Amino acid sequence: MLDRLVGRLQVDLLVNLTLRDLRSKYKRSALGWTWSVLNPLVAVVVYSAVFSVFLRIQPTTGDPSGLRSYAVFLLVTLLPWQFHVTSLTEATRSITANGPLITKIWFPRWVLPTSAVLARFLTLLVEMAVLLVLIAVLEGHFAFAWIPVVLTLMALQLLFTVGLALMVSAANVYFRDVQHFLGVALAPWMFLTPILYPLNMVPEDREFLGISYRTLYQLNPMVSWAKAYRNALYDLRFPSAERWLAIVMATVVVLAVGLRVFRRLEPRMAEEV
Amino acid sequence: MAVSLDGLGKKFRLTHDRNWTLKATMLAGHRTRYEEFWALRDLSLEVEHGQTFGIIGGNGSGKSTLLKVLAGILRPDEGTAAVDGRLSALLELGAGFHPELTGRENVYLNGAILGFTAREIRRRFDEIVGFAELDRFIDEPVRNYSSGMYVRLGFSVAIHVEPEVLLVDEVLAVGDLTFQKRCLERFAQLKAEGRTIIVVSHDLDMVGWLCDRTAWIQQGALQAVGPSSEVIDRFAIGADLTATAGDTGDGGRPAFERLSLDDLVKSVALVDPNGHPTDAVGSGRQVSIRVRYDGQAAGEPVIVALGLYRADGTHVASINSGATTSGVARSNRAPDEKAAGELVEVDYVVPALPVQPGTYELSVALHDASMRRVLERHTHILRFEVSPTGIDPQNGLVALGGTWEAR
Repeated sequence: MLDRLVGRLQVDLLVNLTLRDLRSKYKRSALGWTWSVLNPLVAVVVYSAVFSVFLRIQPTTGDPSGLRSYAVFLLVTLLPWQFHVTSLTEATRSITANGPLITKIWFPRWVLPTSAVLARFLTLLVEMAVLLVLIAVLEGHFAFAWIPVVLTLMALQLLFTVGLALMVSAANVYFRDVQHFLGVALAPWMFLTPILYPLNMVPEDREFLGISYRTLYQLNPMVSWAKAYRNALYDLRFPSAERWLAIVMATVVVLAVGLRVFRRLEPRMAEEV
Repeated sequence: MAVSLDGLGKKFRLTHDRNWTLKATMLAGHRTRYEEFWALRDLSLEVEHGQTFGIIGGNGSGKSTLLKVLAGILRPDEGTAAVDGRLSALLELGAGFHPELTGRENVYLNGAILGFTAREIRRRFDEIVGFAELDRFIDEPVRNYSSGMYVRLGFSVAIHVEPEVLLVDEVLAVGDLTFQKRCLERFAQLKAEGRTIIVVSHDLDMVGWLCDRTAWIQQGALQAVGPSSEVIDRFAIGADLTATAGDTGDGGRPAFERLSLDDLVKSVALVDPNGHPTDAVGSGRQVSIRVRYDGQAAGEPVIVALGLYRADGTHVASINSGATTSGVARSNRAPDEKAAGELVEVDYVVPALPVQPGTYELSVALHDASMRRVLERHTHILRFEVSPTGIDPQNGLVALGGTWEAR
């Protein structure tokens, strides 16, 4: 009973902090929320020009959808990826940026990185909804039946990101290097995830220490999400059991480690922040 | 018990060279060098339900650290701190406010941070806004608020959380007089409702008026606890619980900060022109400050430095015997006092004390002959009154001692 009450209070706190992030984000800017549409729009135009037109990367043909469109191919993975990047970047600073709050009021600290991720997640929900409508109107590509699968993938990605956010935000209190490291790591991470090109372009016949490039490449958990999002929204196919297994395992491990790390680093945050 | 502390200790690390980066930590090895500093040590205290409890002490005594431990912001390193009941801490008003959000949005946000549910806030919203007198501005972003409006709203949210235990740190020093008065009324009301209030303050009058019991903390340790008036009196004259009435130093006045037997300085006293110890002096009158110290234990020629402060902390003057050190040390040492372990007595003679009437405090330090090393320092060791002499009423810091002449 008491636990449920406490849990309830933190839901209120999470909701309020998430709303704070969303409300304050585009305050005092003329274009406001247009910016959050503009960002993926510019990305898709530039990436399509460079990778599809200049470098002539061919999107796979959707199986069984038969769709062949680089823009759709790109967007179904790019939007979740941009959520990954921005929510981690914002979550990393969430505790250090709220230093005055941490040193003056006690409240469960995990809500800070979590609400930063949640705020960005709500934006992703809207973006994905807009995407589904756009590809239906422009490409005649109807992916609405796959919404439950996509929502499940998104929910798992949310938990995975929260786990990472807990780790990096807590570590950043003690070592400010973390935020800089993240900035450096996220760019190569994107290129090592099949967002701009199909997975089958990663060579299987070349080896490093006796392990094929393709196998090494798939150690990156984001590969599974990219592949699964593309299965559901581009191919219109249920992702394979291995993908689901990899995704669930990555989520469980990262969330468990994240919670542990956070609990370890939490007690002295008010002194170190 | 609403609050019980048992052997509570909290230490901080004083890193002289804080390693902000991973690389520096790697290079410095696993252990970074730091000093440990106990802000609180071996503190045991109990506060009953429904009591209003004051905590007083000088700057850096550990009062605020104690409140932060009670509020759960800092974890104790030793002992336990248990709080029974819903707690609200007013350590900084409006700490959770976001400048770009409106007052209304911030009330909900701040309330959630303090542990309110949205429904609870909705129910008290009008009351919160009314108390803060912000009805017209509640939908304005708080960045447009004056500091007074900001603080009023912060206070109003915190006070309406209906805590069973309320921690207050010096927050009444803010807002205008009318608002301060209403805050005190609200405290009295909470008190009447049987809630526990713990107040940290430098305002001894307020603590005395509001609190049933008071604890005096010095250097992280409990000096005294008991009925407010008694503890405040003890704090004001600086005698601690163990001091006996006769223990007032060697012919001097009651020490504000007590000297121990091991100290080089044995006594500090005011002496009137007739050579008698006194604790009051008239503005513009002659007075001497007499310092006695153990010349043999010091083992070397010593420079005596004096600092004069007004009771509010304003620095009035600092003087040292540096320029005339040998002369002072020798001339004041009577030939028969040269024996080992004898006291050296130094007088600083002020022919006409040029300060306005009021309460003053004296600091004493002993330096080595080069002035580079402090052998011993006693801050605010003596507190004394300067009385008006009524010749020429003046305002300000100093008594100029001039005369008017018509020409």
